[in-house]
Amino acid sequence: MATGASLTDGGASPLRSAVGGTVPRIRLRGIRKRFGSVDALRGVDLELFPSECLGLVGDNAAGKSTLTKIISGTYIPDAGTIEIDGEVVRLTGPADARGRNIEMVFQDLSLCDHIDVVGNLFLGRERTRGPFLDRARMLAEGRQMLDALEIRIPKLTTRVAQLSGGQRQAIAIARAASFRPKVLIMDEPTSALAVAEVEAVLHLINRVKASGVSVILITHRLQDLFRVCDRIAVMYEGTKVAERAIENTDLEDLVKLIVGQGTLQ
Amino acid sequence: MTEYAERRQGPDIADFLIDNAQVLSIAVFFVACTIFFSASADYFLTVGNILNILRQAAPLLIVATAMTFVIVTAGIDLSVGSLIALINAVAAIALAAGLPWPLVVLAMFALGGLIGLAQGWFIAYQDVPAFIVTLAGLSILRGVALYLTKGYSIPISGVPGFLAIGRATVYGIPLPAIIAAAVALVGYVAIGRTKYGRQVVAVGSNAEAARRVGMPARWIVASVYIVSGVCAALAGIMLAARLGSGSSNAAVGFELQAIAAVVLGGTSLMGGRGTILGTILGTLTIAVIGNGLILMHISPFFTQIVTGAIILAAIWINTRIFSTRFRLKQRKEG
Ligand SMILES: Nc1ncnc2c1ncn2[C@@H]1O[C@H](COP(=O)(O)OP(=O)(O)OP(=O)(O)O)[C@@H](O)[C@H]1O
Ligand SMILES: [Mg+2]
Repeated sequence: MATGASLTDGGASPLRSAVGGTVPRIRLRGIRKRFGSVDALRGVDLELFPSECLGLVGDNAAGKSTLTKIISGTYIPDAGTIEIDGEVVRLTGPADARGRNIEMVFQDLSLCDHIDVVGNLFLGRERTRGPFLDRARMLAEGRQMLDALEIRIPKLTTRVAQLSGGQRQAIAIARAASFRPKVLIMDEPTSALAVAEVEAVLHLINRVKASGVSVILITHRLQDLFRVCDRIAVMYEGTKVAERAIENTDLEDLVKLIVGQGTLQ
Repeated sequence: MTEYAERRQGPDIADFLIDNAQVLSIAVFFVACTIFFSASADYFLTVGNILNILRQAAPLLIVATAMTFVIVTAGIDLSVGSLIALINAVAAIALAAGLPWPLVVLAMFALGGLIGLAQGWFIAYQDVPAFIVTLAGLSILRGVALYLTKGYSIPISGVPGFLAIGRATVYGIPLPAIIAAAVALVGYVAIGRTKYGRQVVAVGSNAEAARRVGMPARWIVASVYIVSGVCAALAGIMLAARLGSGSSNAAVGFELQAIAAVVLGGTSLMGGRGTILGTILGTLTIAVIGNGLILMHISPFFTQIVTGAIILAAIWINTRIFSTRFRLKQRKEG
């Protein structure tokens, strides 16, 4: 754990001990990412421990999605290191990250409109018999996946294009949550969900957390953070500006930190 | 107080009709063409002529089946006609040099696959638009074929085994038709029931989503051009065998016929949605129109005009029907 002291962000050190002396599941150090003229990430350090939920908040374009996409292998950082369970890794792509049990619900969902519900649930993980798709098995398992999350979709053979925004979001969540992830990243998973469905997602987060999964939750619904998160990191213009244990903060404090009037420790 | 009741599930047939409307409409159009020509040309609905249509349609069906895969990835392969010409020329030269015909056939498959791989590499790994890459292919491959043959047609004779590929019949049915039906069947099963087909559809529907779930998106895109190249090679062999010669002027405009067959069948040029059943019907429709007009003694020059106009009309009607349905649906939601 000694290496944790190299964190540049002063706010992180006391928090780490609060979580316990475990090796972080994910540790990012000095992550930078540029898109042309946009400095999307300007050196971000972040730690994520087993069994915790980290809330990631910040203004639009603060770099939250970019940072989590780096963890899920979707983007390769320009600089900085990624450690998984204490070991420095170079994620080569999404397949690599998925192989390491890192799953992500993307803000834009990443569903294939022309493929049916069950096909999207198993996208990239098709159950097969030889070269053939095992449809019967996928239908049965897919139904279980949705039932486990209390997602109601009458027909699994409906093409995703015909579903409502919330149903689509539910499918993306089920896809990420159902294959025993160790790290579950959710980028605004509840933006289109109705009351009951939001509750179900928050329950899901608490449940997977209890089973040892690390969760990163990005959301603009700040009140949700207080129901599931253990820690909150605030991003501003491509940097992490603050980190708070959930018991040391409140809505007002967070709002100030997000808009940039907070006291940066 | 209002009761909270679940929305009733409509009949499955409604979904089926919506999903398959385009295939159904091309099927209706095909039947209409058949009835029209049966009434207009005496010889049209005879066993001899039907077998003739099937033999004629075979190479187009093979190429159109592969083209369906290409178009499902939102790509296009304009080089297939030129590739057929090149295969024609090279196969004829190799056979004239005395190489054993089975070896020549295998070598042609390999050549078609390699050319497809080369084009696929530019498209998938170098991000050059498929339209440009295969347009260059169209020019280059035809040029190579012309260069090799100096523009002459090279006769193929004394290799009955090779010629049989284009001319033999099995229980009265032309061998090319049987081969083409087998290719279409493989295509049908592959696109709907196999993991590979699912990957092709996923890449065409949302390439970034496919990449994010860990599919080898670039390789999948490249692979459809290999499939297209191998199928064009098969069609080229078939044509050379049927005509008994290898000509660098073979299959001019073939790529457009293949694309027309695929689009007529209801496959979307935007990618993601494709149907081999539709492609089969589209191919047969084009073959029937071509054959019927000849039997009606309409000038072959006119045939091209009519074929083009019919294709435009059919696709126009199809698009109209679909956009109407779409608008109605949106209004209901609003
Ligand atoms: N693929 C890309 N190409 C170019 N610029 C990008 C790309 N992805 C992100 N950016 C830029 O990086 C910056 C950070 O974007 P990011 O999507 O990470 O923000 P965010 O914090 O998720 O915002 P939001 O709350 O709106 O989702 C933005 O300025 C954005 O324009
Ligand atoms: Mg975002």
